[in-house]
Amino acid sequence: MVAWRRMIATALMAGSAASCAPVGSADPRTELVLWRNQVGLQEEAATAALVARFNAAQSKWHVVAQSLPQGGYGQSIVAASLAGRMPCIMTVDSPTVASYAWAGHLRPLDAYVPASNIAQIIPAAVGRYAGKTYALGQIDAALAIYTKRSILASVGARVPTLDHPWSGAEFQTILERLKAAGAYRYPLDLATRDDKPSWWTYAFSPVLRSFGGDLIDRTGLASAQGELNGEPAIRFGTWFQGLFRKGLVNRKEPDENGFVKGRSALVYSGNWWVADYRDYAGKDLLVLPPPDFGQGVRIGGGSWQWAISRTCAHPDGAGAFIRFLLQPDNIAAMSDASGGVPVTEAGAAASKAFGKGGDSRIFFDLMRRFALERPATPAFPTIANAFTAAMRDIMDGGDVRDSLDDAVDDIDGAIADSPPSAKAGK
Amino acid sequence: MSVGIRRTRSRFAAILFGGPAAIGLTMFLALPFLMALILTFTDQRLVSPDASRFVGLRNYERLLSVTTLVQDPVSVGDGQDRYVRIRDITRTDPEYRGYRPLTSFVMGDRRVTVLARDPAFLRALGNTFLFAVLVVPLQCVMALGLALLVNAGLRGQTIFRAVYFSPVVMSMVIVSVIWSFLFDRDLGLFNQALSLVSFGLIPPIDWLGDPSAAMPAIVIMSAWQGAGFQMLILLAGLQGIAQELYDAARIDGATAWQRFVHITLPGLRNTITFVLIVTTIAALGLFTQVDVMTGGGPRGSTATVMFEAVRRGVREQNVSYGATISLIYFAIITVFILLQQLVLRRRQGARR
Repeated sequence: MVAWRRMIATALMAGSAASCAPVGSADPRTELVLWRNQVGLQEEAATAALVARFNAAQSKWHVVAQSLPQGGYGQSIVAASLAGRMPCIMTVDSPTVASYAWAGHLRPLDAYVPASNIAQIIPAAVGRYAGKTYALGQIDAALAIYTKRSILASVGARVPTLDHPWSGAEFQTILERLKAAGAYRYPLDLATRDDKPSWWTYAFSPVLRSFGGDLIDRTGLASAQGELNGEPAIRFGTWFQGLFRKGLVNRKEPDENGFVKGRSALVYSGNWWVADYRDYAGKDLLVLPPPDFGQGVRIGGGSWQWAISRTCAHPDGAGAFIRFLLQPDNIAAMSDASGGVPVTEAGAAASKAFGKGGDSRIFFDLMRRFALERPATPAFPTIANAFTAAMRDIMDGGDVRDSLDDAVDDIDGAIADSPPSAKAGK
Repeated sequence: MSVGIRRTRSRFAAILFGGPAAIGLTMFLALPFLMALILTFTDQRLVSPDASRFVGLRNYERLLSVTTLVQDPVSVGDGQDRYVRIRDITRTDPEYRGYRPLTSFVMGDRRVTVLARDPAFLRALGNTFLFAVLVVPLQCVMALGLALLVNAGLRGQTIFRAVYFSPVVMSMVIVSVIWSFLFDRDLGLFNQALSLVSFGLIPPIDWLGDPSAAMPAIVIMSAWQGAGFQMLILLAGLQGIAQELYDAARIDGATAWQRFVHITLPGLRNTITFVLIVTTIAALGLFTQVDVMTGGGPRGSTATVMFEAVRRGVREQNVSYGATISLIYFAIITVFILLQQLVLRRRQGARR
């Protein structure tokens, strides 16, 4: 409770400091404006605390943090860029990094963060475009299957491990047995209630990858033909459709709490829900890797990351701040405060929850071993929209091959339409 | 004082009083419309570092191109007619490149498929008119029924009026969220009630998840939400009908139904015309319910033109294409209204 209050107070102090430009003419330090998205009290308070520590240890730079509502955050960045009033340091959402880099909003970080530092960060948390690094995550997220030990025992299913995950067939058998047992109307919750392309791509494109397909051909990043509508993708689509046709998954759960209210036996979702699930299931809770559908376990990767704007007048200072954020202790502080998964081994080791033997260690292992970076192309928003539209049609009984072919045509058409500058870069 | 001065002065007054509105209309209606018109000939994105290029009629071509494809069955010898898969043709034959099936039917043993470059838009156009055709009569009849009920002089009339009007003042987003719960397949009130009154004979309907049920579900909800407003207007119309007419009819021995058909309906003619027009306009702008309750799904069955315009123009950031959708829709509605005016005017002329 006290910790809570202190965090809120720190956040408030940071907020008021930002509004009244604390660096007076007498202060020799150079001011650096920082923007971050409003995510939640804990994460924002943790950022504020890190900013305060950075400033206190500095004689050269002074970071002034401002938080902006997440709903219109992307528009704020673009508008600020068009108006030439970008902040120096800012958070950017991983799916948008490539398009921002292509649009010239960002400055490559390679000159400011040593390559040896970047190499320690898991690849999904590194925002690359056209061979350069443009954004670095401090924390990331991991997807897992959650269930209760007692539920698996009731259908005689084994508990999978990171080294021996369920196979696709094993997973299917468990779901069908649970359905047949009758205690759960829909045994699995895939959070399909959320119809945003960001969720659908993050959650289901790794499954497609595990089947052997992909969103786009990653070598040229110019066409989805053969990847998104090839034989593995069709098997994936057919399996996905079957989940809904057989009543194993509800196309739209009435709320997000199917698992904690006992409506579903298993839920596929992110580490950000684990606190609620622990409250519900206690020691009975299992956090499991998603099944291996043939080409290995895959989960999504890439959350909010830190970047320096193209127009930043003092990139050295911004670089110093990002290097500061990536120090293991600071990664650990952010992780323990916000529940986000640390992006480096050293950061995890320094953290209470994610260190060896920590409660949440599993999420770090899942992320390190299975996280998949998104294709780094400015066409990613189009890819996400097309993929989501196809998957939702498939969920609702649409023809699998037709839907996937349409998605491929949408993606290839949009890439062909876009100006030549957008096509370059891997 | 000459006539000339007076005319100048009245012209000055006209400009003075009309000015603010004219500036507003120009700034926020005429100019944006012109800008949208220009946008439709470019490939402008909502946000892009590249300058937009002039692309001629490309947006219109993509939006409106329609063609047909006639196929002979491929014999496989199992007695069932089969045809080459449409996408195998559209994705390889350059003549059909970029086309997608809109609808198909079998004539004799040949299959005719109507193809469009953007079938989603044409389907949305169909959905929008379907919605209007379903919701306008339902909503207006409901409104008339409520107005008659509230006007009947029962006790607690004011309370009923307030109750029936309350959905109108509620935010459409909130109403949509609540109705999504009511429409839930397993836990929703409607299916529970249907199952209760039919002793479990009516199987649960997947209101928002079944392509054939989703649009009717939105129609029911929209009619419920909007009827209160039309009820108020009709109520005002009802109260404008002279009580003497009813009294005279009663003395002549007219039944309640005769009074309704021969006094109430003719007395409400103008009000009903107005209510029909207002409801139609509102129906053609359907967006919020779709966005909140179905997101255009399942399988495009509830996507409307407004929803498509927002999806393409804003969410996919293809603002020039979104502008083209809006412009074409504007043209269609204009033609529609001109026709309606023509018909109404001709009918009035005939009556005279």
